[in-house]
Amino acid sequence: MGRAARPVRIAGSVCRNSTMMCQHCDLEASVHLTETIDGTTREVHLCPACARESGMLVSQPPPELGLEAVVQTLIINHVGELVGELARLRCTLCGMKFMEFRTGGRLGCPHDYDLFRSGLLPIVLRSHGATRHVGKRPKRRDATANQRLLFRARLRHAIDEEDYEQAAMLRDQLRRKDADQ
Amino acid sequence: MNLDELTRASGEWLRGTGPESDIVMCSRIRLARNLADFPFINRASRGEKTEIENHFKTAIANAGLELSYVDVLSLDNLDRQFLVERQLISRELASSEGPRGVAIGPHENTSIMVNEEDHLRIQMMLSGLALAENWERINKVDDQIEETLTYAFSPQLGYLTACPTNVGTGIRVGVMLHLPALVQTKQIDKVFRALHKINLAVRGLYGEGTQAFGDFYQISNQQTLGKSETDLIRNLTDVIPQIITYERQARQELLNQRRQHLHDQVSRAYGVLKTAHTITSEETMHLLSSVRLGINLGLIDDLDIPTVNELFIHTQPAHLQKLQGRPLEVDERNIARAAYLRSRLTNGSSGEE
Repeated sequence: MGRAARPVRIAGSVCRNSTMMCQHCDLEASVHLTETIDGTTREVHLCPACARESGMLVSQPPPELGLEAVVQTLIINHVGELVGELARLRCTLCGMKFMEFRTGGRLGCPHDYDLFRSGLLPIVLRSHGATRHVGKRPKRRDATANQRLLFRARLRHAIDEEDYEQAAMLRDQLRRKDADQ
Repeated sequence: MNLDELTRASGEWLRGTGPESDIVMCSRIRLARNLADFPFINRASRGEKTEIENHFKTAIANAGLELSYVDVLSLDNLDRQFLVERQLISRELASSEGPRGVAIGPHENTSIMVNEEDHLRIQMMLSGLALAENWERINKVDDQIEETLTYAFSPQLGYLTACPTNVGTGIRVGVMLHLPALVQTKQIDKVFRALHKINLAVRGLYGEGTQAFGDFYQISNQQTLGKSETDLIRNLTDVIPQIITYERQARQELLNQRRQHLHDQVSRAYGVLKTAHTITSEETMHLLSSVRLGINLGLIDDLDIPTVNELFIHTQPAHLQKLQGRPLEVDERNIARAAYLRSRLTNGSSGEE
């Protein structure tokens, strides 16, 4: 994608409930950009994986900025607003709502860490006194994992609805994706 | 895997060897891991849990790991309880629902629970204080599984787990300590308060929420994010020797100031265990703890530590029923336990059966 992105404004890194789909894949977009190139403004909506792939989302923010303290202050300053927004969030991949997590203590899928990020970080900070991983990293990464999570969500839904034709089709698609791995 | 074979043997971690094994029963590390493309267990369908199981079985086969898979779903309650008592599965895995299991390695050092709170809970148990070796071994197993499976991981938050209290390294590093002298000299609370201050957790023999019995305490990290695995291990290896020193001082204090009393207590405990005709699990733990202390202080010389370590596990309810080959009511169990203890203890150091 040929971008002379200047200036790029990240409008929001948190998913809102009005679902916007990623322009590159079928996943929910959670990165919303407004690009102004040579006076023409256009909007880009991407899921975190595609955003990272196209270089729009820096996967690792620069270290050593006293980030944890900054995050903490931000959250405390905005806590009222976040609670209202978070209360409405529901993950399209696993169906988990933030409030269900708060009562049950467990998340529903890996994507929840992105989706509920603003509500989770203060909890993580309280538990660990840190918000940044140090230590072992896996050698394998899978950029299409969220896509398969979405297919599985649709499959679960199709089975619940007893739509077995749709379920069989989704199973085939999943199998093909697994084979592509 | 035939569980009856396990009944006759015992885990390598009970052999009572390794550094500081008079006080450190064993070192345990567990890693929480999840597959990147499946929902966490609380949101996974039955079919998805089966798929996770299958992916895991493929991974261990590909890696050539010598692990036997036990399908926990198809076990009866007694066998599940038996695996809990052996420290091979958690109570949560025993009592949850749906497809789930555990892969067990030779000598029971390695066990990997599938579909517990996280998709995988990899555990390594070694006798004595051996955390560095433990990390080396479990890290290798983790790498081997990862040859086939893609784990859920975020560059910022690390390995993603169902509960954010495990996120990051997903590691719990623990040692199981036998601290009878600190309990008797009423200094144990002081030690616990100090450990809490540096963010270490204290639990009983059977993990979360269980009260300590037999004066065994598991001390482990709570923080899993923001420090590397080796730093978290170092936190423990820095602190544990101090607790060992306190326990040794307390033992010396008991020997110097109350030698007759201590000797009497140890001998009576041994006597009851050798001669009782009915005995509860609680009393057994309590008395075995005194006997274990007595052996380590040279007050008993015809019994070895591995036997006592094994008796702590083999006198548990499910083990007794497995050894007897039939279900037993509480009263019957107390009689069977006493008979088992007499048979193991009357001939002195009995070692392996």
